[in-house]
Amino acid sequence: MPANELLALLMFASFIALVFTGFPVAWLLGGLSVLFTALAIVLDVDFHLPIGVDWNYTSIAVDRIWNVMENWVMVALPMFIFMGLLLDRSGIARDLMTSFARLFGRLRGGLAITVTLIGLLLAATTGIIGASVVLLALLGLPVMLREGYDRSLASGTICAVGTLGILIPPSIMLVLMADRMAMSVGDLFLGAVFPGVLLGVLYILYLFGYGLLRPEGAPAGRHDPVDWGAVRDLLVAILPPAGLILAVLGSIFMGLATPTEAAGVGAAGALLLALAKRQLDRHGLREVLYETTRTTAFIFAVLLGATAFSLVLRGLGGDTLIERTLLGLPFGPTGILVSILFATFLLGFFLDWIELTLIILPLVSPVVAGLGFDPVWFTVLFAVCLQTSFLTPPVGFAIFYLKGVAPAGIDVATIYRGVVPFIILQLIGLVIIFKWQALVTWLPAQAYG
Amino acid sequence: MLPHTRFSRRVDPLIRRIGHCISWLWLALLVIIVANVLLRYVFGEGRIEFEEIQWHLYATGFLLGLGYAVERDAHIRVDVVHERLSERFKAWIELYGILLLLLPFIALILVYSVPFVWQSFSLSEVSQAPGGLPLRWLIKAMLPLGFLVLLIATLSRLTRVWAQLFFSVQSAGKDTEGRDAR
Repeated sequence: MPANELLALLMFASFIALVFTGFPVAWLLGGLSVLFTALAIVLDVDFHLPIGVDWNYTSIAVDRIWNVMENWVMVALPMFIFMGLLLDRSGIARDLMTSFARLFGRLRGGLAITVTLIGLLLAATTGIIGASVVLLALLGLPVMLREGYDRSLASGTICAVGTLGILIPPSIMLVLMADRMAMSVGDLFLGAVFPGVLLGVLYILYLFGYGLLRPEGAPAGRHDPVDWGAVRDLLVAILPPAGLILAVLGSIFMGLATPTEAAGVGAAGALLLALAKRQLDRHGLREVLYETTRTTAFIFAVLLGATAFSLVLRGLGGDTLIERTLLGLPFGPTGILVSILFATFLLGFFLDWIELTLIILPLVSPVVAGLGFDPVWFTVLFAVCLQTSFLTPPVGFAIFYLKGVAPAGIDVATIYRGVVPFIILQLIGLVIIFKWQALVTWLPAQAYG
Repeated sequence: MLPHTRFSRRVDPLIRRIGHCISWLWLALLVIIVANVLLRYVFGEGRIEFEEIQWHLYATGFLLGLGYAVERDAHIRVDVVHERLSERFKAWIELYGILLLLLPFIALILVYSVPFVWQSFSLSEVSQAPGGLPLRWLIKAMLPLGFLVLLIATLSRLTRVWAQLFFSVQSAGKDTEGRDAR
């Protein structure tokens, strides 16, 4: 193996090893790019091993950062973050919970289905796993436990639904993925619609079946009979957030607005909703704005660090190394694709989607494209793999976030038992998406008519 | 919780102030996007300036926010192992991380972004789009400016880590961490 590829391997291994120190990932990535440039120069000057990476090369990072700065599509990111935070803070989720519970409370498993539907509606706007798991846990867990739901079922539902949010458009993960894959954000949003809905439907079917077969674990609530008042309240509660999401996706689908414009208009809509509900005062707005800055800053910090890291890794020949290794696997194209997805699943145990999207996705995407797979389809599969991996013990992110806010009596083993059925559902969903590619590719092909 | 130092007490409120001020840019960004969409539908065409202002605001926001996120300790960490370590061990990691990784990265960007901005300034570079914005160097200057704020926030954190490691008696004393966010 040539010296530069050895260095590339060492660089990647250092990243994986040092990430566990808990030092901020963004600075780890940026710092390693500087250290390995220095190392390459030392090897070149003192040991006469020409590596091909020097300060001149690494300084291209500045031009790459400039490309991020002038990237108009990425303007959508802070706007979606702002919109998601506003919906979280303005009591819209709470209203949804109350009115859904009134309607479905009498159904066995109804509360868990309620949580799933709210997750589908609201998590769609946040795209930050921690935020949606915590929100759903605070909202739904106490109610479910009070009604006598099985603890594992309740906690498993919340983990699964909370992670589903990163997949359902408009999610910020999809914006970043589209940017890294140089594909249209609109195409990826539309491609992820049916897979997201598919997984949601699988969850609901499972919960419904659980209620039928084990009613003692998912009892029907003791709610008043359903009347028109309950239906009206539900409509009043569901229309604003559902309307907002449909408007954002619809305007992209019809070609009326770019994702950036849709994000800005969606954020303005969320602001008007929050103001109309009188749930947002000056102080609350300020807090949401500050948090938007913090979230945007930490995401872009990783983006800047990963830009420098990938640049140096590529300079060391890391991408040809990956390509050769993948193509050298003793499988056909499908086998290579499955290996990539499996590796993603493993890496997702300890890396968040931000790092994986920014570092792994660009490394493997040329190989996948070279094998002739549809890039949107691959990216959606990649995303579902990531989501599954956040659910999977022993180190799924969702499990830890839930443990952080769960009431006493819910230990890690309870949550582990609860997520297992959902992991199986994820795998079923993955196989379906894998088999029927049209599930992803059909909708984008119809768009912009 | 890291102890504060003389330097951090002076500098951190300033960093916070910057973070809070730029947070209002998101509201301005929102207004401009909506205005541009309305213009396009009412008058049939959007304005190039408006589109350019959008990414000018967004770039300013995320770059000047980098330091603020350090001050608030908001940057993403993988804490599977980290949260089980002792405070002292975490402080050592932080010390070496800042010295060997973060500061060199800041140096790289600062050293190469200043000539990048200077070149734009000396060429009087303007936007290439018809009707685009002038003074291209101004927005480019946000890159070194953002990293300068990041540098100051990092140095402040470095003094706090240093104090924790080598003067940790003080950490038991007065701690002004409580007054924040406003």
